[in-house]
Amino acid sequence: MQGLARTPFGGIPVGRVLIAAMATGFLALLAAAVAAGYAIRQENRHSDWVIHTYHVETVLIEARRLVEQKETARRGYMLAGTPAFLDSFERAHAALVPQIVELRRLTADNVHQREPLAMVVRRLAELDAAQRATNELVRQGRGAEALRLFRADSGLLRMQKLRAVFDLMAREERRLLALRDAEQTASRHRFSIVAAVSILLFLLVSILSFLTVRRYTRDLQRSRVALADLNATLEEQVKERTADLALANEEIQRFAYIVSHDLRSPLVNVMGFTAELSAATGPLAELIDRAEAEAPQIVTEEARLAAREDLPEAIGFIRTSTAKMDRLINAILKLSREGRRVLAPEMIALDQLVEQITDSIRHVIDDRGVTVTIERPMPVVVSDRIALEQILSNLIENATKYRHPARAAEVHVSAQATPGRVIVAVRDNGRGIDPRDHQRVFDLFRRSGQQDQPGEGIGLAHVRALAYRLGGTISVESQLGEGATFFLSLPPTLAIESA
Amino acid sequence: MNDHRSVGIVMIEDDEGHARLIEKNIRRAGILNDIRHFTDGTTALDYLFNAPDGPAKSGPAMVLLDLNLPDMSGTDILAKIKDESSPLRRAPVVVLTTTDDKVEIQRCYDLGCNVYITKPVNYENFAQAIRQLGLFLSVIQVPEVEG
Repeated sequence: MQGLARTPFGGIPVGRVLIAAMATGFLALLAAAVAAGYAIRQENRHSDWVIHTYHVETVLIEARRLVEQKETARRGYMLAGTPAFLDSFERAHAALVPQIVELRRLTADNVHQREPLAMVVRRLAELDAAQRATNELVRQGRGAEALRLFRADSGLLRMQKLRAVFDLMAREERRLLALRDAEQTASRHRFSIVAAVSILLFLLVSILSFLTVRRYTRDLQRSRVALADLNATLEEQVKERTADLALANEEIQRFAYIVSHDLRSPLVNVMGFTAELSAATGPLAELIDRAEAEAPQIVTEEARLAAREDLPEAIGFIRTSTAKMDRLINAILKLSREGRRVLAPEMIALDQLVEQITDSIRHVIDDRGVTVTIERPMPVVVSDRIALEQILSNLIENATKYRHPARAAEVHVSAQATPGRVIVAVRDNGRGIDPRDHQRVFDLFRRSGQQDQPGEGIGLAHVRALAYRLGGTISVESQLGEGATFFLSLPPTLAIESA
Repeated sequence: MNDHRSVGIVMIEDDEGHARLIEKNIRRAGILNDIRHFTDGTTALDYLFNAPDGPAKSGPAMVLLDLNLPDMSGTDILAKIKDESSPLRRAPVVVLTTTDDKVEIQRCYDLGCNVYITKPVNYENFAQAIRQLGLFLSVIQVPEVEG
């Protein structure tokens, strides 16, 4: 019992602990999942940025390469004057323009790149103009003039500046990448912390749940073992108690027998000598009569009263009292004898038994003008015939006895089998029993209602004692003035204890 | 009982009232035999077996025996009277008691009691039973006690 009632963690029910643990576990999982999702998104964005950076760098390199190629083609053309260089120059120029456009698109979001890009574009335009000027001079065969112009224009310086700007842009991209890398590292770090905390929490909750369940299971196991033990010994305990009860019952029976038996002895004396006294009053009264007739002066008033009235009256009272006491003692004796009688179960058809009983008290029934009806069919029981007969005959006799003055008496006897019980009902339309007295009427020497019928208050006590012996119970349903129904509930088969 | 005076009646009964009532009613039945009354088993046994005028030493007797005695059970007295070696084993013993327990009745007859009578509780019946017992006593034959 103790194991069942106990709960882990200071009285909080196990169910609530488990639900809380599970909720916490799920929350931890959810937090971990959200953190993971966020981390993945960050990672994707970072990758995009890395690709972007490399893309910018690629474009920058390509642009530089094309600028260099363009300058190389111009210089070659200046040196050799062959149109192939001019073609190369134009091809590089054509390829360079989309690269610059692409570069502008890629760096549109970055204010730091805008100025250098504008500078690149301006320098490229200036360079292109200078290049085209020398190219035109070469094409016109004025090579020396072109060379002069090239020197004066300081093409080398122009290239160097352009390269510097390109480097600046590349550096800026690198700087951004580093920044984003740092951000990414921080994000990863954050994710790690969230994940670690979640996992820790999850683990904690798991352990807690596991411990709770284990503890609970252990408690349950313990209770089950205790229950099994209890079950195993229950039968034995019941047997022991039954034996104890049987012993106590036997003791009471023996006590009742001895008491009633020993009470009889002095009663025989009281009754016997009362009878002797009574017999003695006869001659005494005769003597008074004779004295009165022959010598009236010797008869005092006191002597006359004593012989004629006081003695007979006293004897009368002693006799009625002893007679009553005798009946009461006999009742106790009868009850105790009934308790000692060995029961002999046999098959009994209830309808036949009831009919037999009503036949045997037919004269009483007819005298009282009662209609007794027996509702058939009735089940068959295995029980003690004598005890059952006494119970039913008492109930039926009672039902015909306490009639209602205003209506014709009717008694209805029915019986039905319910699972495990047979219930016999004896219903009358008599004067009924006050519900206050429903228990009392079954007590020895106790009666209910108007005391206008003979009886000692023994019948129903006897009925109850017999019903108990047959493993049954007796109860009554009644309202004052509305008849009564007595229910006898019996086991279908009387089990005789081996004791 | 051809000679009523020669057969003594030994009544062992602890209740004085009962004894008196029994005696009165036996007398009313016309029995005039000597009735010796004892209220306990020890003195009764002493009289039965040892007294010079007791049944064992002189003359036939019959015993009226109550089973509920203060010092011993009536069945013990019955067993002693009916014992194989007892000179009184043929003496009629009438058990007259309040007990109507079947086992007790069987036991008394097993021990050799001749008649077992339950004292009726109702006095009229009691008186009648004793008177009938008196009539019965007036016709039965009692054997001589062996020397």
